[in-house]
Amino acid sequence: MKKLIMIISMAICLTLLNAVFPDGNELLKKIDDNMLSKTMKATYTMTVQTKRATRTMVSVNWSQGTEKGFSEYTAPAREKGTKMLKDGDNLWIYDPNTDRIIQISGNMLKQSVMGSDLSYEDFMEETTMQESYSALVTGEEIYQERDCWVLMLAAKKPDISYQTIKVFVDKERFLPLYEERYAKSGKLLKTTQVQEVMQVKDRWYPKQMLYKDALKEGKGTLFTIDKIEFDVKIPAYIFTKASLKK
Amino acid sequence: MVFKLAWKNIHGAGLRSIINVFIIALVMIGIIWMQGMYAGWMRMAERQSREWQNGDGRYTFRSYDKYDPFSWDKSNGKIPSELQSLVKNNEAVPILISQGSIYPDGRMISITVKGIPYNQKVLKLPTSELKDSKYNIPALIGMNMAKSSHLKLGDVLTMRWRDIHGAFNAADIEIVKIMDTPEMEVDNGQVWIDLARLQTMKDAEGKATLIVLKNSKDISFTSADWRFQSIDDLLIDLHNIMKVERAQALIMYAILLFLAMIAIFDTQVLAVFKRRKEIGTFAALGMTKREIIRMFTVEGMMYAMLASVASGILGLPLFIYYGTKGWKMPSSYESYGIAGLSDTIIFYYSPQMILSTIIIVILITTVVSWIPTLRIARLKPTDALRGRLS
Repeated sequence: MKKLIMIISMAICLTLLNAVFPDGNELLKKIDDNMLSKTMKATYTMTVQTKRATRTMVSVNWSQGTEKGFSEYTAPAREKGTKMLKDGDNLWIYDPNTDRIIQISGNMLKQSVMGSDLSYEDFMEETTMQESYSALVTGEEIYQERDCWVLMLAAKKPDISYQTIKVFVDKERFLPLYEERYAKSGKLLKTTQVQEVMQVKDRWYPKQMLYKDALKEGKGTLFTIDKIEFDVKIPAYIFTKASLKK
Repeated sequence: MVFKLAWKNIHGAGLRSIINVFIIALVMIGIIWMQGMYAGWMRMAERQSREWQNGDGRYTFRSYDKYDPFSWDKSNGKIPSELQSLVKNNEAVPILISQGSIYPDGRMISITVKGIPYNQKVLKLPTSELKDSKYNIPALIGMNMAKSSHLKLGDVLTMRWRDIHGAFNAADIEIVKIMDTPEMEVDNGQVWIDLARLQTMKDAEGKATLIVLKNSKDISFTSADWRFQSIDDLLIDLHNIMKVERAQALIMYAILLFLAMIAIFDTQVLAVFKRRKEIGTFAALGMTKREIIRMFTVEGMMYAMLASVASGILGLPLFIYYGTKGWKMPSSYESYGIAGLSDTIIFYYSPQMILSTIIIVILITTVVSWIPTLRIARLKPTDALRGRLS
């Protein structure tokens, strides 16, 4: 009897939730529409703030859909000329000091980029949220003076790095402002805080984000978008290995 | 007669002979001592490797490459049914290997996570400690690992890993035992937890990367997924290190022998010069040049033979001391991670090694003694009788 009451209560709660909150997967579609583009060119400044030191790196990045990406570091002098090309699951890194191209593939993509709190996957990734996750709106919050929906994302496939993600999404702009990425066990692993936003034509985009490994000490990695252009024409040679040595 | 004369001459030479014998004996002691050390090191490293890591050989999942941690999540498979009875009877132990990270005090340290059944009896690892922990995952680490990562008994820290599909997982582990192991490969950067627990954590039920055998003699199992590695295959790195070490030691032996042989050579040159009248007399009495040369050569050879006896007497206390008490290597050597260097090396002197050393030294001494006597072949008996060297 108790079980029956519980099931009925849960069903009522879920129905009420659905009635009050929008459909999570619809929200994911809107987030994807806002965040993704056919092509993109951007200049990023990445500041890695470890316990002992702070390092700042500047890179110019090109991407095409979710499959292809190309980055070139322009500062500091030590990293200048380092280039990365992503094509599907493969990543090639060009080191100007040794004048060599190194291929990194598969699991290596899950490693940290330049000692930051971001993995190569996080950095190069532009996968659609809809493809990877199913979402449920679980509540509302005010984050940085903006009204947000609280979304709980559950991975659709077992090979997705973070099986659960909690996201605060701006109700009007459909921009994720805060993310918590969890391990399968439910332990918090990473957080992403959008600290500043910008409007690029008709879309809202993060200007400055703080990525933080929740298990590690340190202030995290600050990621600033200095310049961004969507749906720009990118020459095909950019996404070839030949462009790494150019 | 040649031996008798040679012995008389050695005896007559007095202090010079004693010094020659003493020098050769010292060289022999040095060579045997060093060879004893290498043999002892090798034996100990082999024993430690068997006891702590490799058993009597193992089955390794074919795609496993210990130097490529990024491939480990795909380098495991179901324990073959043919080997399961061995595992059940504690005749084999399955080990699952994974890459992971631990976060002591907010520092990230990359580690190798190894799952081993807590009730195994094949390896010396104190795995019984992995059975229970009330709230956390019980973990076993080595002393070196504890030292390098500043961990102590009872510490609770977060460990992060990926399951075999690639999804992140994390949980708190508790250090329930810090083991004192001489085998650096089971210590440095390693965290051991119960196999069943790791299999669940990685979503790899029933899977293993290695299956270590207690005795490989009667096992003939073959499989496309698993390759058998004998203890010799597994110790190939150690054998290679030993080859290099022995090659370096050979240079040392050569230098020691060279110094000793200079003394012998010098003695022989002097003997031929000082005893030219005696050579002439022997020739006049009917001894052939060959017999005279043989007499001088035998003298040299007898130095080496006497030195063998002397090295036995003089070196015995040293050999016994290092053969029983051993030689504790400086603690800084432990960080090299070379098998056998973290414990006291008990020297081992095989009869074969002692005999071969003695024979080689005698042969070289004989050759070195013979070379100066070649002048006798050019000597005219009349000149020799007059004390001249032609």
